[in-house]
Formats: sequence, C-alpha cells, structure tokens
Amino acid sequence: MATAIFEQLINGTMMGSIYVLMALGMVLIYGVMHVLNFAHGVLFMTGGYLTHLFFFNLTGSYPLAIVLSILTLALIGVVLEGVIFRPLRDNLRMQIVASVGLILIIQNGVIQLWGPRALQMRTSSVSSLVKVGQLSFTMQHFVIIAVVVSAVTALYLFLTFTRLGTAMRATSQHPEAAIVVGINPNRIYALTFMIACALAGLGGALLGPLFLIFPQMGDAPMLKALSAIVIGGMGSIPGAIVGGFGIGVVESLSTLVIPSDYRDTIVFAILILMLLLRPWGLFGVRVRGEH
Amino acid sequence: MLKVRGLKGGYGGRLIVDGVDLDVAAGEIVTVIGQNGAGKSTILKSIFNMAPVREGVVTLDDQDIFPVSSYQMLTVGLAYIPQHHSVFPKLTITENLRMGGYLLSDAKLLQERVAKVEDMFPILKERRKEYAASLSGGEQRMLEIARTLIMDPKVVMLDEPSIGLAPKMVDLVFSTARLLAEAGKGILMVEQNVRRALLASDRGYVLELGQVRITDEAQALIADERVSRLYMGVRS
Repeated sequence: MATAIFEQLINGTMMGSIYVLMALGMVLIYGVMHVLNFAHGVLFMTGGYLTHLFFFNLTGSYPLAIVLSILTLALIGVVLEGVIFRPLRDNLRMQIVASVGLILIIQNGVIQLWGPRALQMRTSSVSSLVKVGQLSFTMQHFVIIAVVVSAVTALYLFLTFTRLGTAMRATSQHPEAAIVVGINPNRIYALTFMIACALAGLGGALLGPLFLIFPQMGDAPMLKALSAIVIGGMGSIPGAIVGGFGIGVVESLSTLVIPSDYRDTIVFAILILMLLLRPWGLFGVRVRGEH
Repeated sequence: MLKVRGLKGGYGGRLIVDGVDLDVAAGEIVTVIGQNGAGKSTILKSIFNMAPVREGVVTLDDQDIFPVSSYQMLTVGLAYIPQHHSVFPKLTITENLRMGGYLLSDAKLLQERVAKVEDMFPILKERRKEYAASLSGGEQRMLEIARTLIMDPKVVMLDEPSIGLAPKMVDLVFSTARLLAEAGKGILMVEQNVRRALLASDRGYVLELGQVRITDEAQALIADERVSRLYMGVRS
C-alpha cells in the first residue's frame, strides 16, 4: 500500500505541475485584465503540436524544440492580445466570448493542419526509466516536476523583484494609478498574455511526449486548472500553485480507492464543495456585493 | 507655466467641461471650486488626457502637451493625483515609491530621489516594508504625493486632496502643497472643502456647469459674497 501511495504521489505531483503551469497563466491574465481565458487549453495543445513539429522537422533536440515552441507561443500571446483582446478591452463579456471562439478556431485549425489523429513523440526522456525502490518512473516525470518548479520560481522572482514584474502587480491592483505613474497599460497587457501563453505552451511541450498529442489534449488540463484557481481563490498566485498541485495529487490518490475513470468526478466534487462552503477559495479574499 | 485655453471635455454626449481657460504659474497654488457635477474632476482628467472626449489647448512651459498620452505626462513634467485612493494597496511603500520612478531608467537617480522624499515624509521611511494598504487615509495621500515627486514634476494636479481625511491631515496635505509650491512647482487643486482650500491657495477659479464664472485672488474669493453664499453655506 505504501508503495502504491508513493507512486500515486509522484504521478499526482507530475500532473499537478502541469495544472500549475496552466493555472498560473490563467490567474495572471485574470489578475491583470479580469478576463478568464478559456482558450488556454488550446494554447497548451498548440504547444504540444509545435514541439512535435520542431522536434521532428527542425531541431531533433527535445529541449531546443521546447524553447522554440515557448517562444512561438509567447509571440502568439502578444498577437492574440493586440488583435483580439485589446479592441474588446472595455467589454468583458465579449472578451470571454472571443476566448471561447478561439477554442473553435485553433482546435479546428490544428485538425486541418495535422489531421484528427493523435501524434506520438517518444523522446529519450520517456524511454529511460528511473528506479525508485521497486517502482520505476519515466525520466520525463522528474523532468516535468523540475522544469515546472524552476519556471514557477523564475516567475515569482520576476514578479517580486523586477521593475516590470512590479509594474505588472501594480497594474493589476490599480490600473488608473498605474497610468498616472507612467506605466503603459498596453505593454503590461501584452506582457501578461505573452507570459501566460508561454507557460501554457511549456505545459503542452512537457506533457506531449508522455501521453499523446491530439486536438483535445488541452481540454482536461484547462478544466483542472480552472478548478485549481477557483479552489485556490480567484486571482491568487499562491492559490493557483496550491490548487494545481492539490488537484493533481488528490486525483491520483483517488485512483487507489475508486476506479480511475471516476477521478475527474472527485476533482469536480471538490470544486462544487468549495463553491458551496468557501466560494472565495483557499487564498482568496471575501468580497461582498461586487461582480 | 501650465496654460489651458478653451478646454472642453466629457465622456461622450454632453460636454462636462465646456470651454475653460486657466493658468498655473510656478510657485503658485491654484484651486478650482464648484458644486458637485460642475466638472471639476473632469477638468483635471481632460488636461491629463484621460477623458474620452476632449479638445482645446494645453501647454506646459510653452510645449504643447495636449496630445501626450496619460502615461507619458510625467515625462513632460505634469503629475496627477486622482481623487480616490491611488496607492497600490498590496505593494510595499518602497515598491510604491519605486513605481513612482517607473519612467526613470537611471537606478542611481531613482535611489537619490527616493531617499529625498523619504526624508521629506519620515513616516514612509519608518514603514517602508509595509503594504501601502496598512497606512491611514492621510498617510496614503502623503505616499501618493511622495510617489509623484520621484519624477520631479513641474506641475502637480490634485483631485480633492482633502476628501475623507481627518482635519489634522487636511492641514498637513495643504501645508505639503505649500511646501511644493515654495520649491517652485505649480499646484492645481480641485476642492469641495472650499474655505480651507482657498485659505491654502493663491488664486481660485469658480466653476459652474463646466465654465469658469469667477476668477480672482483666493483672499478676494473668500471675501466674495457670492462665493460664501453658494459654496461656504453662509447666509446673507
């Protein structure tokens, strides 16, 4: 039993790291521009496809393919913000509609380009196994956890200690005051989208080799990430991290006691319970009236 | 220094500010008074390029600043402190000051300026590591003023600086404004606390329905029977 629990803890931490990447991107966009970007799942998927493309057709190196797909996603983020979300800035509802529309466009665009069938990308990190006691995990499990921990740390340092990171926090707290002190809000919005999309792309690039790359691969992670930020508290970065890891671990552990087909049910049951008992989330602040 | 001619501004539909001329000289405190809805705040927003609809002429030291974007106004020497709390609540006081110097790329100059305003407002130095939200209303106002001074603006515009503050704090805000004026800055205030504001000012403009009705020395306005009847609750 103890080994089974340990195995699921590792699996859960790995999946949780993926959720954390997604959740952080969504929380950043929500925190700075108050929009829930429902297209985050398809951006994650795009990251998987681009990594596949760069890996097989361009570089032959998995790490390099990841870097290229992150950069491409960052660029896509800037374009999406400038072309779609900026003109809709004053209309929150239309921005949400636009993000849902993006799902249809990107998902079907990918099917047009690559076809509906799932792609495989077996990198060496997937074939090489790491033995821990009697258990063995793919190297990729640990690559994912390590990369995500570094990415989250880097993001934290950026937001806390740099001029631009502080300006991002400032803009999310008081947009008018940000303008008054000389911060160009459009630059901050573009930067936010850029970082968030890069994180989603990194998620797809990391998970792609372990599972398959297919047009719907981002749907479940997006829903889990959304649950993570609701459970953690809308707009809270620590909440997104705790929520993401928490969901990953809980859903993995749940497979020990119930059939694994039901693990999504556990996640969403927790979400519903949270909404009933503590709707402002673990780290959120209770706000009355507004919204 | 700051020269405004024929300023109009609003939010679409009816113009809230309808042809205002005003001047602010270096070392002078100028106050705009008027009833709710007279367009006082909109004047400042229109000058600062924050009103959606605007036209007119705005120059600072003979430089045309009308088309400058709001977030670049500090680079031409114009600062604006909005009416409601505008500190960044969950940034520390140090971070708030740092954001005041967002447009400064010279790290050394930024440090000098921060040290200078910290000397001017010792409370900010004492509590530099705390969130701005932990400051009292008056202290937050001080932080807003201090944050503005990092860019060493020529003219500072204050929207209702005394609103919601304890009387002692109101005195402090106005005496700080005087200090800035003595340092050669021009101060343009908009106030509802008419008597106190005029006592602290050099000149005043009385605004009615988006237009300037009376303009005079502050002393003369306090003595003016129309002003005291309409804005200071004095019955004749």
